[in-house]
Amino acid sequence: MLRRSVTLLVLLALVTLAVPVMAQETEPTIPAAPCVAPGELTLWLWDENWAEVIGDSVELWKTEYCPDAEVTIEVNPWGQYWDLLKTAAASGDLPDIFTMSQPNAFFYIDNNALMDLEPYFEAAGIDSNLWGSGSVGPYRGADGTGLYSAPVEWVTVAVYYNKDMMDAAGLEYPTADWTWDDFAEYAAALTDEEAGVYGAEVYMEYQSGFPNWIAMTGVSPLIEADRSRCTLQDAGSIEALQFLKGLADAGYMPPPSIVGSTSPDDAFNLFKSGQLAMMSVGAWKLPQAFEELEFNWDVVTFPKNPTTGRSRSTLHAVGYSAGANAENPDLVANLIQFLVSDEGQRFFAEAGGVAPGNPNPELQQMWIDSFGDTNVNIQAFIDAIQDSQGITDFDEIDSVNNELVLNIFDLGMSVEEATAKACEVIDAYIASMSE
Amino acid sequence: MASGGTPVPLLYLTNPYVMSTLLNFFGHTPLSRRKAFWGLALVAPNLLGLFFFFGVPVIIAFATSLNEWNVLAPPVFTGLDNFGRMLGDNLFWRALGNTVKLALGVIPAEVILALGVALILNQQLPARGIFRTAYFLPVVTSSVAASVVWTWIFQPRYGLLGSLLQPFGLRDTAWLTRPELVLIPVGVVTVWQRLGFDMVLFLAGLQAIPRELYEAATIDGAGRWQRLRYVTLPLLSPTTFLVLTLLVISVFQIFDQVYIMTARTVRGGVDGSALTLPVFLYEEAFTRNRFGYASAVALGLFLIILFLTALQLWGQRLWVYYESEAPEVKA
Repeated sequence: MLRRSVTLLVLLALVTLAVPVMAQETEPTIPAAPCVAPGELTLWLWDENWAEVIGDSVELWKTEYCPDAEVTIEVNPWGQYWDLLKTAAASGDLPDIFTMSQPNAFFYIDNNALMDLEPYFEAAGIDSNLWGSGSVGPYRGADGTGLYSAPVEWVTVAVYYNKDMMDAAGLEYPTADWTWDDFAEYAAALTDEEAGVYGAEVYMEYQSGFPNWIAMTGVSPLIEADRSRCTLQDAGSIEALQFLKGLADAGYMPPPSIVGSTSPDDAFNLFKSGQLAMMSVGAWKLPQAFEELEFNWDVVTFPKNPTTGRSRSTLHAVGYSAGANAENPDLVANLIQFLVSDEGQRFFAEAGGVAPGNPNPELQQMWIDSFGDTNVNIQAFIDAIQDSQGITDFDEIDSVNNELVLNIFDLGMSVEEATAKACEVIDAYIASMSE
Repeated sequence: MASGGTPVPLLYLTNPYVMSTLLNFFGHTPLSRRKAFWGLALVAPNLLGLFFFFGVPVIIAFATSLNEWNVLAPPVFTGLDNFGRMLGDNLFWRALGNTVKLALGVIPAEVILALGVALILNQQLPARGIFRTAYFLPVVTSSVAASVVWTWIFQPRYGLLGSLLQPFGLRDTAWLTRPELVLIPVGVVTVWQRLGFDMVLFLAGLQAIPRELYEAATIDGAGRWQRLRYVTLPLLSPTTFLVLTLLVISVFQIFDQVYIMTARTVRGGVDGSALTLPVFLYEEAFTRNRFGYASAVALGLFLIILFLTALQLWGQRLWVYYESEAPEVKA
């Protein structure tokens, strides 16, 4: 008994000694810092689930780094968020901090409505390139400088597939080496027209759909990254859309009117009910998939384009932004620095929702582990970062995407005609922006 | 706005009492004018609200329409450019055309159905109160919620309508995406949602018709159809006029149905096939950040409604029969 107690005490002493040593060895990727003077801040989000996670994070900031500060968190659902933000901007009353999406950022950045966070990060010794260009590229100014939003999370897209259906069809599970031709064969083999089962649905809207396939051909989807022209009529775009249209025309993919929309949410419902064998959607669907799918399933990176040999995914990162005229810019920057720091992001990593924007490998592993002991290849989403495509879409032309999808996949228009129509609208809008 | 709901000042206008008082004010008998004076005096607090929450924004909208303004950068004065642009904008004309199509479908259907239901429910039926409540329920249902449910009813493969149409081979009809079809669901939901309101107006009108007129007509040998044609319809004409006036206004303000029912694909439909003027101006403002142009379109819409309402007011003397007028002997 005594011997056991002594052993335990020795072990405890060793652990106590080891902790500070380990802590010294692991430098945080993004450190937090104490605030200079507390104050009152408002923070807007569109996601109810995030409010809790970010709320916990803010509480820690208030306790450890900025006692006496007050933060009011307000959740405005996505459907109203951008209208409210514009109205708030119009009345000069933007919240101190608000979550920003890449397609919406251009408008605010181009009109000098956002605070440049770069000087604050530089002063704190943080190199904003640590996030990678896909995450922060769209949050920089037109000349590529400045940083107008700091990543909350990142999302890539991969193919979710029903393993039971593959077993029934006698197919091997796809691997990261599969190609477009393999994908077409899988889609054909998994389609059962009589039972109303479709092999795949991978065109949809911008983030989860056809732009991934265009990116794999080496073309910037929809528009050039510098927003100079429409790229939908480029050879790569035509190739990708022709490929997808071929699958739809063969009856392997359902038209949008059958899916119910151009949203991956509705495609997911078909997937869930066993009427769809494969679909592409971002990592944000993982929690719902784990909770609701009652069959065996897995994820795999997009198949490789046979010519370029590239498997690519769009990469989107929601960010924290602040208004250019924030009353207390130092405090705002301090809270944002904390929210994206290792400490602040730990709450996201542990919550098991979206992946934390902070690239610290420990945090990323924590995020994977948060889903528990699973045989789902979550690593596919991290692998997809390697050759990812930054978001080129922006809000003002977003409906063109959906119109293109409807024209091609629902109304039977040829790819050439549909892309010509879309480019006409996009190029006209780009021209009107430079007026 | 996205969550729907009629703005408060517009509720005043859709209030039948305020509306009939206002209409009476333009009536051509001293009695109706005297009545209207006291009516207006009593609704003055409401009208003041109307001025501040409706009149003032209209003035601001006019000022905005003379500028190019994206809400973030300072506005740039462009005079009447936005109005010129509106007249040359294909989407504006498409939205107006769609509204006219909707009006041609919705207004006759609504008047006939609401009147028909009112005539039926004006009779001594068992559980009449329950029927009246049931028909009125859509009016008090959130139009956003109703539009969402109807979107699923019109869903081709799994929707209720698809199942009903299956025997006719029309199951997979893409009601909400095909440009030539999309106005049908929008019109159906509009009629469904408004039917109860117009039915109540017609019921009130029907109950105001003195019974002795029917008795006299019956004694004179008038049958059911003749009583409807020569007693009910003429005496109901002020109500019909009110219903028509309000209907035209509301058809030109269709927003929620289109916004919700096409939100899951292309808002306003492919090629603007489901675009109405309110959806068009919303898109111009909140998606394309052209608030000045959107204000010009809003004023255009206001002028169109004003013109149509004035036209109806002028035209009413040709067909509307007011009880206070001296009875005419018609051949």
